[in-house]
Amino acid sequence: MKTFALGQILAVIRLELGKTFFARRGLWIYLLALAPVVLFLGHSIYAPREQQRLARLAAAHPVPAKALNSIQTGMSRQEVLKDLGRPYFQRTWRHRRGPRRFREHVFYAYTDGRSDFHFFFADGRLRFIRRDDPDTLAKLSVIFATVFQYYYLRLAVFFGCVGVFINLFRGEMLDKSLHFYLLTPVRREVLTVGKYLAGLLATMVIFTASTALQIAAMLWEFGHGAVGSYLAGGGWGQIGAYLGITALACVGYGSVFLAAGLLFRNPIIPAAAVLIWESANLFLPPTLKHLSLIFYLQSLCPVVAAPAGNLPRLLTLLISAAQPASHAAALACVLVFSLAVVAVSCLRARTLEISYGTD
Amino acid sequence: MSDTAITFDNVSRFYGEVLGVNRITLSLSPGITSLVGPNGSGKTTLMNLMTGLVRPTCGEIRVLGVKPTEPAKLFRLVGYATQFDSFPKGLTGFEFIYSFLRLFGSSSAESARLSAQAIAQVGMTEAANRKVAGYSKGMRQRIKLAQAIAHNPRVLVLDEPLNGLDPLVRIETIDLFRKYASEGRHVIVSSHILHEVEAISDQVILLNSGYVVAEGQIHGVRSEIQERPYEILVRCSRPSELASKAFELDHVVEAQLLADGGGVLVKTRDADRLLRALNHLALGGIQIEGVAPADDNVNSVYDYLIGGEGATK
Ligand SMILES: Nc1ncnc2c1ncn2[C@@H]1O[C@H](COP(=O)(O)OP(=O)(O)O)[C@@H](O)[C@H]1O
Ligand SMILES: [Mg+2]
Repeated sequence: MKTFALGQILAVIRLELGKTFFARRGLWIYLLALAPVVLFLGHSIYAPREQQRLARLAAAHPVPAKALNSIQTGMSRQEVLKDLGRPYFQRTWRHRRGPRRFREHVFYAYTDGRSDFHFFFADGRLRFIRRDDPDTLAKLSVIFATVFQYYYLRLAVFFGCVGVFINLFRGEMLDKSLHFYLLTPVRREVLTVGKYLAGLLATMVIFTASTALQIAAMLWEFGHGAVGSYLAGGGWGQIGAYLGITALACVGYGSVFLAAGLLFRNPIIPAAAVLIWESANLFLPPTLKHLSLIFYLQSLCPVVAAPAGNLPRLLTLLISAAQPASHAAALACVLVFSLAVVAVSCLRARTLEISYGTD
Repeated sequence: MSDTAITFDNVSRFYGEVLGVNRITLSLSPGITSLVGPNGSGKTTLMNLMTGLVRPTCGEIRVLGVKPTEPAKLFRLVGYATQFDSFPKGLTGFEFIYSFLRLFGSSSAESARLSAQAIAQVGMTEAANRKVAGYSKGMRQRIKLAQAIAHNPRVLVLDEPLNGLDPLVRIETIDLFRKYASEGRHVIVSSHILHEVEAISDQVILLNSGYVVAEGQIHGVRSEIQERPYEILVRCSRPSELASKAFELDHVVEAQLLADGGGVLVKTRDADRLLRALNHLALGGIQIEGVAPADDNVNSVYDYLIGGEGATK
């Protein structure tokens, strides 16, 4: 009996895979998955060129690195010019502050051939220094962690799962072809699990492949030596963790949208509600944070991202920190939650009726 | 006993406020059974109830002893071709039948053999490897039929299976029904045209507005319709005189004075002749103020079902 159900699940998966992988409606899922790969690839191509540009500029406008590092805010423009000589690029503009009063802004750019320094002066005093150092693996892995947690999991995998899982049942109700399934000797629970697994297979393959490609693209600009020592020093573990978290996100979000497609006439509304809830997670008090999937997924991430980096000051005040869950607890929570949601979906499928068109 | 019959025990189904079928109690034995009734009379609802696509609001259904909520058992016994004219996207006729047969647990080779066999039975072998999307209406009807019979079910449920078939294919399809019925299986077909199925049916169930209005062997049903008297309400002066005159007519079954004293309810087997006779009485001095069918709805349904013959004979 059990092996028979297994055979049926495989048969359902076989029927579904064509739809989940190759649906014409689903092309945008591949675009979502591909976008971050393109981003990292673009960066890997751009970074060495930038280094070459800085090296050329440093040859034309030599500045000693020691002098560059000694510049501090508050210094006057003359002092900076005295220490560093002429910048390789400069710009001046005026800001009217009254009928006859102006404020003068000056921007200087210097480089030692590796780092890029931007100095911003106002009324002759150095107010602000921006420094771009050459890429290091440590720096990039924080960027990767940030993209992974704030774009990839929350948007790409999320919407990918919306597209695939909501349509498992809903799509066939719209096509008016669900009844063919319901007229076979397959228990509704078996059908539901089979469809869920088919969705998982598709999303896991698409999104873990994307994660792997993103990491490969990120590592591309670094030499063999640097990559080798990164991998040897825990890099493989990080890569494994990212792949696992991606798959786990598909398990979690997949179950939610499987249920949404079964329980709601218009599942886009619950999907939007979940999106808002998961995004608001950042600003929720710690106890409520525990009620979202993204909290547990983030707890599992191997590198801490810096969410506050680019947010306005006021918003950062609203962010509350919660102690991340332990890895075992996070994993268990996501799995138990998903299992429960799939079970609810099975119950719903048992009483599902066919009434196309009258919705 | 219950193992060969399909039974409905006091089954009702409401769609919200809308009545689908009401208080249906039926026992269907093997052979060809036709569900006949105008659109919206509940034929599809009955079939969906039988196959678990919708659930009864109340009442019990058993198909050869199996509950419709047990698909794993039910669809070893039942094949259902629905009225929906839609198919999974991108499949050929063969792939369509084959891929769902795989869910029955047969091996790949066995499924392929059964698919080819079912397709041959409906005469679609030549078109089997073309996409269903390119089929004509008649071909889609036939491929649905093939899908319903592919796993060799003991109960075939077919919703309007003759719709859209050209005359030749129609004859072949009816032969297929007969063959299945002669093997002791159930063949349940629906139609909104009685004469389309009356010649082939062992049993006919007439439905109207969610109720079974007649059931039985076809000859019984037809004569039951034809012999059922029309009830006509006549508003007139001197009603008791009209009632006694009406009684003298041989086609009048009953004439009943209305309680308000302003008319007579006449039951007749021949409405036309009654109307002519009323004209005659009017000439004789009784003032006829109005004539109307007392039970418009039921009469018109019967007229519709038997093609208007009952009213003019
Ligand atoms: N899914 C549904 N939702 C609401 N009303 C329905 C639904 N299906 C059928 N009905 C109503 O139930 C009645 C019977 O319909 P149906 O069984 O389709 O009749 P038939 O097949 O004889 O045309 C009709 O009044 C129809 O409008
Ligand atoms: Mg119908």
